[in-house]
Amino acid sequence: MALKIWRYDAVKGERALEEYEVDAPDWATLLDVLDIVKDRHDGTLAYRKSCRMMICGSCGMRMDGAAVLACKTRMVDIAESGHVPVISAMGNMPIVKDLVVDMNPFWGKIRAVQPWLEPGYSDPGEKEHIVSQERMDTIHKESLCIMCGCCVSECNSMEADPDFLGPAALAKGMRFVGDARDRATVERLQSYSEEHGIWDCTRCYFCQERCPKGVDPRDAIAKLGAEAMREGIDSDMGARHAKWFVTSAKTTGWLRETELVPKTQGIAKSMKEVTFAMGLLKHGKVPPPFPPHVAKHVDEARALYDIVKQEGAQGAAGIVQSEHALARLEFVHESGAEERDPYGPDSFPEPLPPGEGAGQ
Amino acid sequence: MKTVAYYKGCLASLSAKELDTSTQALAPKVGLELVELEAVTCCGAGDIHEAEPDYYLHLNARILAYAEATGADTLMTVCNVCTLNLRQANHALRGDAALLARVNDNLVSVGAPPYSGGVEVMHFLWLISVGEGYELLKGAAHKGLKGLKIAPFYGCQILRPSKLLGFEDPDKPESLERIIAACGGEAIDYPAKIKCCGFPIIQAREDVALAELIQPIEQAKEAGADAMVTPCPLCHLSLDAWQSKLRKQTGKDFQMPVLHLSQLIGVAAGLDSSELKFKRHVVSVEPVTERLAI
Amino acid sequence: MEVMHDVVVVGAGCAGMRAAIEAFDAGADVAMISKIHPVRSHSGAAEGGINAALGNASEDDPEKHAFDTVKGSDYLGDQDAIEILCQEAPDDVYQLEHWGAVFSRTPDGRIAQRPFGAAGEPRTAYAADITGHVLIHVLYEQVLKRDIPTYEEYFAWKLVVDDGRCQGVIAWDLLRGGLQSIGAKTVILATGGAGRLYTGTTNAYACTGDGMAMALRAGVALKDMEMMQFHPTTLAPTGVLITEGCRGEGAYLLNAKAERFLVRYAPNAMELASRDVISRAEQTEIDEGRGLNGNVMLDLRHLGAERILERLHGTRELSMTFAGVDPIYEPIPVRPGAHYHMGGVDTDVWGQTSLPGLYAAGEVACVSVHGANRLGGNALMETITYGKRVGRHASEWALANTTVEVPAAVEADAERELKALLDRTAGERPWQIRDELAETMHVNFGVFRREEQMLEQGAIVQSLRERYESVVVEDKGEVFNSDLTQALELGFLLELAECMVVSGIARKESRGAHARPYDYPNRDDEKYLRHTLVTWKDGAVQLDWKPVTMTKWQPQERTY
Repeated sequence: MALKIWRYDAVKGERALEEYEVDAPDWATLLDVLDIVKDRHDGTLAYRKSCRMMICGSCGMRMDGAAVLACKTRMVDIAESGHVPVISAMGNMPIVKDLVVDMNPFWGKIRAVQPWLEPGYSDPGEKEHIVSQERMDTIHKESLCIMCGCCVSECNSMEADPDFLGPAALAKGMRFVGDARDRATVERLQSYSEEHGIWDCTRCYFCQERCPKGVDPRDAIAKLGAEAMREGIDSDMGARHAKWFVTSAKTTGWLRETELVPKTQGIAKSMKEVTFAMGLLKHGKVPPPFPPHVAKHVDEARALYDIVKQEGAQGAAGIVQSEHALARLEFVHESGAEERDPYGPDSFPEPLPPGEGAGQ
Repeated sequence: MKTVAYYKGCLASLSAKELDTSTQALAPKVGLELVELEAVTCCGAGDIHEAEPDYYLHLNARILAYAEATGADTLMTVCNVCTLNLRQANHALRGDAALLARVNDNLVSVGAPPYSGGVEVMHFLWLISVGEGYELLKGAAHKGLKGLKIAPFYGCQILRPSKLLGFEDPDKPESLERIIAACGGEAIDYPAKIKCCGFPIIQAREDVALAELIQPIEQAKEAGADAMVTPCPLCHLSLDAWQSKLRKQTGKDFQMPVLHLSQLIGVAAGLDSSELKFKRHVVSVEPVTERLAI
Repeated sequence: MEVMHDVVVVGAGCAGMRAAIEAFDAGADVAMISKIHPVRSHSGAAEGGINAALGNASEDDPEKHAFDTVKGSDYLGDQDAIEILCQEAPDDVYQLEHWGAVFSRTPDGRIAQRPFGAAGEPRTAYAADITGHVLIHVLYEQVLKRDIPTYEEYFAWKLVVDDGRCQGVIAWDLLRGGLQSIGAKTVILATGGAGRLYTGTTNAYACTGDGMAMALRAGVALKDMEMMQFHPTTLAPTGVLITEGCRGEGAYLLNAKAERFLVRYAPNAMELASRDVISRAEQTEIDEGRGLNGNVMLDLRHLGAERILERLHGTRELSMTFAGVDPIYEPIPVRPGAHYHMGGVDTDVWGQTSLPGLYAAGEVACVSVHGANRLGGNALMETITYGKRVGRHASEWALANTTVEVPAAVEADAERELKALLDRTAGERPWQIRDELAETMHVNFGVFRREEQMLEQGAIVQSLRERYESVVVEDKGEVFNSDLTQALELGFLLELAECMVVSGIARKESRGAHARPYDYPNRDDEKYLRHTLVTWKDGAVQLDWKPVTMTKWQPQERTY
């Protein structure tokens, strides 16, 4: 098969797209193909690798512009299609050489969320903390993260604001906020709610799309938002923006669009936007708030709110409760067929009871 | 004629009324009979999902339930954000019987119908970019776009996460291109067409949002686009209304007309200006209408 | 010498990080050196779990754990070391839980435990099928909390020996290039195993026996090097690990006729017999024509989708990616693959080697708690318990001793040797030697061993070592020169292969992983209830023996 690799020489600062033609076995992954290039074509090619089984997180890189784990990416279909993939280093991180990026900014952000359990004053005694599986499941997805950087590579917010904590660090933060054993929840949520934190996420969902381990970092950020709201940490403009949607839904049913700006930014700041707002007003982009546009039977939405506040799944649990169903969806998505008979006519035969085999 | 429940969402009811009027006018021409939902609320736009996730689930369940009550098997959306929010809730409810039962108990207790899981949420784009809808569209777009160069802008939540949306390859989508071609336009290719417009944080983090917003507009301009088209009214709002902020911030005056999907097809299908309502755009659409002599 | 610490830990997997944490908490200035970032370490690939007699799933106690381990080791394990491991294991697991390890839970909220091979009780604490991943991250979190300095992506190449003591490490800075000497009052080797000696291996590319070879070159003895464990369930062709946790959850092993063939080899324990027994059974089925394309089948279908998705999600992901098989619907084709080195640097129960100031912990070490065959779940436990013990002893020693000297001549010698390698332009690149070594080791020193094959392998390794003398590094650059480090790793592997072959030929019996069914099919306690010990003298391996420490358990016949 053929592939092109963006080479980068840090000393000379030169970039070059080089094409390689290699013989690779059917089972080869992108990582295997790179190994063949390095062994047989060019020993100077640089990339990281280690476990080659999707757990160490070393081999994040881009194929045709999308971040992948090289060891998880089988190449046979691409080779057969005749497509020549372009391999390059991950985005949003400086390149060191070829496919190797400088991950120091990445680790710096991980450190910034204080990624360790703060056990506080609850002493579990000599044995373990007692925590139900259900409670542990709150951080199941976040604890799958292998820190490969694929999410960060594609993060649209981080591209626009390099100081954004980003999906990996925030997912790591949720891993502690959601941990029943951690006692620094409020401090964490306050710190993660600052500028460059939770409310900087632009919800582009690239992290969710690229994550090779099903962490779903965008959902982790939403869980942090929900926990921050639950703790009353809602002074950030992003939080106020989100809160206004709730208020709108339970009062008129529809977004009270015109009031969104002052409710988010505060009156003083939004006054500075008057010229801009007048421009919008001219084109009907500022619908008059009175009389309000009220949805039919909006009392139902109000009553639902009261029920949910009384007995619903609060905070992050409101997102976690859906994960089981969504994981089943993923399972169907991956295997391509919902119901297959594992013992059907084309399947491997059912095991014989021990002792009944012909090999006795 | 396929009957679908039609969920307008907030913007098409308010600041983007032109999206609603053009969609309503276009629907019969592409084989869709719209049953507009009245007793429904906002989907939460991702904000309620983040602020009060359980309330988000209930609100969306209620929308799905009212859609199901119309007897249609399809709930049609005209907004990326509504599409993701409703599809996500739908998957969660259909995949977990206990969750569905709890939510239904609550729906019934407030007087709403229960939801049995019988509705598929589909964006307008999906209904008309393949199959019968697409064939009808080709016929309806008889006036054509006369080779106008159109930059398709997908936005995020109609592509990603693909396990919830899954209509097309999230990295190489082509539904908008197919529609542009069917309308006699020329689709422009540019990298940022699948990236974020910045809308969700445009009020809370304007600088970050504008740094995102400029990419598609600038790339489309450089690629020679006469106009952009988007299937999402939120993308439309930032692309159209916030261009003036880009000018203020960067000095670059793009003057890039941005059309809703229904307007783009509407132009090719000869909809009336009272249905297209281009006057409601902040960036003038005149360069386009002049080229097409409408 | 540019920098100095009280304690330097080479390798930052579970053993290395646990040792560093203990040394830090004892008040030492400790630093870690690792050729890959700590969370990339191969401990993270451990899947099934960690053994401690917590008694959460049955009545259990450390003594039962110790007996299972002694028996599993085919009586080659040192019983004092095993007793220490099993006694300290429960508190060490609780410690991990207090630090935040995300263990799976029992219905009453305690750490969940599952059955594992050759264990009399369900003793393996686990986090679904990513236990190693969870532990490596919790340890890294504790490293960050303490802000323990880490020389990330530094390739440790040589130990500094002066005045009869180990006084530091010379390492190559991968990101920037250049050798750096790092002085230390004590050095702890925690570099893991050498599975890259084999083509079909569960081990990462990083597992090249660096610490074992550095110790060997420093004159330290390696113990039981013939004892390479073959894991019964690895995927063709490269050996990706499928966890023993599958069988712990109830999976069957089937031959091509869908027979649970273990009834003929381990009629009581069946799929939960010890790894050496199962690997031999599989190889026999395959060799006798009852395999399927060189595999047997691991059948999870009867466990059902829910259980697989909940507890074996990672396994499903691996088999779908690398074998194209969804275990909910189809059995997974598996075969034995090189997995774990029971042998390693000879240490006492505090991790001390024969060289003062040098310690070893984890897979690089041979204390020996695993003897001739390791039980699944005991490796992670060893990294934690012995990592802790070694960290404690090494820091106490360092805090009581003051001087460190890295002689300029040692640095100059290293610079000269490296320059000679980099300056060489004519010769063979390393990859063919590497591939030939791994392929021949697999054939000649695998699950079953024959005298003539081992002799042949000795000759092959000799000739490969000669070829290695003129090996060429193509990349001459300073920045991220993995061509250079891979060449240095191959040098390590070649010497270890020689040690293994010499030890294997000397052990004329069958014990644990060392199976010689054709000439010495039985265990011979009279002659070989003792460890092999190898040292490197004048460019060749010297063999010696060392008694096994026995406390309470006399050797018995071993059946499952």
